[in-house]
Amino acid sequence: MEVAKQGTSKAGNWRDYERVLLPKVKNLHKLEVYEENGGYQALKAVLTEEKWTPKAVTDEVKASGLRGRGGAGFNAGLKWSFMPPVDDKPRYLCCNGDESEPGTFKDRQLLEYNPHLVIEGILIACYAMSITTCYLYIRGEFADWITHIEHELEKAYAKGYVGKNIMGTGFSTDVVIHKGAGAYICGEETSLMNSLEGKRAYPRIKPPFPAQKGCWNYPTTINNVETLACAPLIINKGAEWYSAIGAPTHPGPVLYGISGHVNRPGVYEFPTGMLITDLINEVAGGMRGGKKLKAVIPGGSSTPPLRADMIDGVTMDADSLRTAGSMMGTGGMLVLDETVDMVTWLKRVSHFYHHESCGQCTPCREGTGWLEDIVGRIDRGEGNVRDLDLLADLCTQMEGRTVCALADAAAWPVRYTIERFRDEFVAKCKPTLTPAGSPLTVDA
Amino acid sequence: MATNNGAQFNRHPEPTFSSDQLVFTSDEKSAMQGYLEMYPEPEGAIMRGLWLAQEKFGFLPPEVIRLVADELGIPYARAYGVATFYTQYFKQKKGTYVLDVCTCFSCQVCGGYDILHYLEDKLGIKAGETSEDGLFTIQEAECLGACGSAPMLQITNGRYVHNLTESKVDSLVSDLKDGKMPAFESVTLPQDETEMGGNRRDDVESLEYYKTPPVAETFE
Ligand SMILES: Cc1cc2nc3c(=O)[nH]c(=O)nc-3n(C[C@H](O)[C@H](O)[C@H](O)COP(=O)(O)O)c2cc1C
Ligand code: SF4
Ligand code: FES
Repeated sequence: MEVAKQGTSKAGNWRDYERVLLPKVKNLHKLEVYEENGGYQALKAVLTEEKWTPKAVTDEVKASGLRGRGGAGFNAGLKWSFMPPVDDKPRYLCCNGDESEPGTFKDRQLLEYNPHLVIEGILIACYAMSITTCYLYIRGEFADWITHIEHELEKAYAKGYVGKNIMGTGFSTDVVIHKGAGAYICGEETSLMNSLEGKRAYPRIKPPFPAQKGCWNYPTTINNVETLACAPLIINKGAEWYSAIGAPTHPGPVLYGISGHVNRPGVYEFPTGMLITDLINEVAGGMRGGKKLKAVIPGGSSTPPLRADMIDGVTMDADSLRTAGSMMGTGGMLVLDETVDMVTWLKRVSHFYHHESCGQCTPCREGTGWLEDIVGRIDRGEGNVRDLDLLADLCTQMEGRTVCALADAAAWPVRYTIERFRDEFVAKCKPTLTPAGSPLTVDA
Repeated sequence: MATNNGAQFNRHPEPTFSSDQLVFTSDEKSAMQGYLEMYPEPEGAIMRGLWLAQEKFGFLPPEVIRLVADELGIPYARAYGVATFYTQYFKQKKGTYVLDVCTCFSCQVCGGYDILHYLEDKLGIKAGETSEDGLFTIQEAECLGACGSAPMLQITNGRYVHNLTESKVDSLVSDLKDGKMPAFESVTLPQDETEMGGNRRDDVESLEYYKTPPVAETFE
């Protein structure tokens, strides 16, 4: 499979990039330090300056081109504009800090190192949509970080940045931290809402969409932690500044969470549109132990893996990754070297989806189990080559036929890992001597 | 009465806790009231309520779930449904220290299984089992959102231990046997190492998670 070289980095002069989501400021997580560094000034501006009507804030965010950082990459300002006109009924914002997509660990770093930027972003979004309650949903495993943010949030309440009559402007918003309890599915927007409501966290059928019927059936908008953290930056520096960073169609600063076989794994802030090769070879310090690159999973376990020979000229933004055959997802990039057995690896990934399926839809509940079983059978050397077609078939039956996208997310890694690493799978299979389906089929 | 619940659902014929034990202190009750105020409907407070109960009782048998439901004024069946949906709510008694070793996506290729098997050998139990002294349970965990510091584990739904090696596991186990919880570890960003000498926070020691110990001393 030949993939044309797509081009060069869209991240401009990234070697001199100055971080804005996680800037170089010691103890920035403390309210005092955040204030000294211009914190809550964007909030103050939108609440006090004439020009910042709620609509103007929404339009500015829309114009910045900010796309959701939770996986789907939807234009954030556009999503905000879907909220119905204000009436006397409640409306909610949910900030999605469930961060359970395997390979993703950036929201945790952001919440630890710059929590007030997230809180300020939440408040600006609440103002733009005339919302008076935001639920900040954080996965239960992040217990230490929940304590940490609760502490900082309390300080923000005490200083009058959150709560009633913020900065004396008459605008009020509460931020409530909701602690999850270990379920990947709660990251899905409607499942998160059921979780908040104290129900079993089954995703809901859409439509109605959250902007119509969300939490407790009232209009609700949901955004990822990192998405909302961009709002104060856009207000402070302008939509034009923001949209000029990185890839034009998917702009902004972004947190890349690089894990796996590189010398310096971790969270990095750079513009979007970085070359994958720059991220691996330069930013993350190259391949560990000088080993050869085998595969890159660009944005969390649900995004299709790219073979080493497919990443030349590919940049980290929606368009380039789509052309290359994958997705931006969460920006949590896993780098695999030549020692990895892709069959074994896929077996463990499929186990994850089987474990996390909520069981509501038959194609997902049964399908994820079958995927795990069949990949496992091949991994043990007991599979047949025709099982590979069976797997592809199963994927087709799962994709787009369920209440939420978990079934698709489970099918994609299977479909594309097999497609792109077929030799490895075939090598582990028993050969089929006669065509599949023939009554004469015998296994060697 | 607690005794009947178990029988009725036939999931726990013998309650673990007696009615003397099944009480919340006045502090805990006011915490529950606080949770109720966080949501427009009382059901929203279930998850926080169950968390509090699990920290107090160590796990959530039906009689404890009933206690939470009653305290919050919500149907028992609703609370039971929630408690059984989430992996972090323990339905059975576990060891004092539950070691959740991540073997998922990134950890599996960075030695997650080596760490898991090393722990299994060291403690003489398999994943899913509890040591005879009741001190340790080992579990295989899904991605815990710390893939950059793989392999890693989590202790009883709380502290993360990053960048595990065999010797780090050795000292962790012996510390835990002495009742010493490892300190919170702030994972430095590689860019901070280059630009700020890795020196971003100077207050990590102030973090304290367990307001009550993982298993309440009152029952031991
Ligand atoms: C199975 C599943 C899991 C998801 N997990 C998360 C998650 O952990 N965090 C997150 O921000 N979004 C997650 N999402 C995406 C959310 O549904 C939603 O699109 C996102 O939070 C919207 O925020 P954004 O527009 O700012 O990206 C998940 C989606 C699916 C289908
Ligand atoms: S697709 Fe899977 S996870 Fe999503 S609602 Fe259906 S069964 Fe649940
Ligand atoms: S894969 Fe282990 S923490 Fe993410």
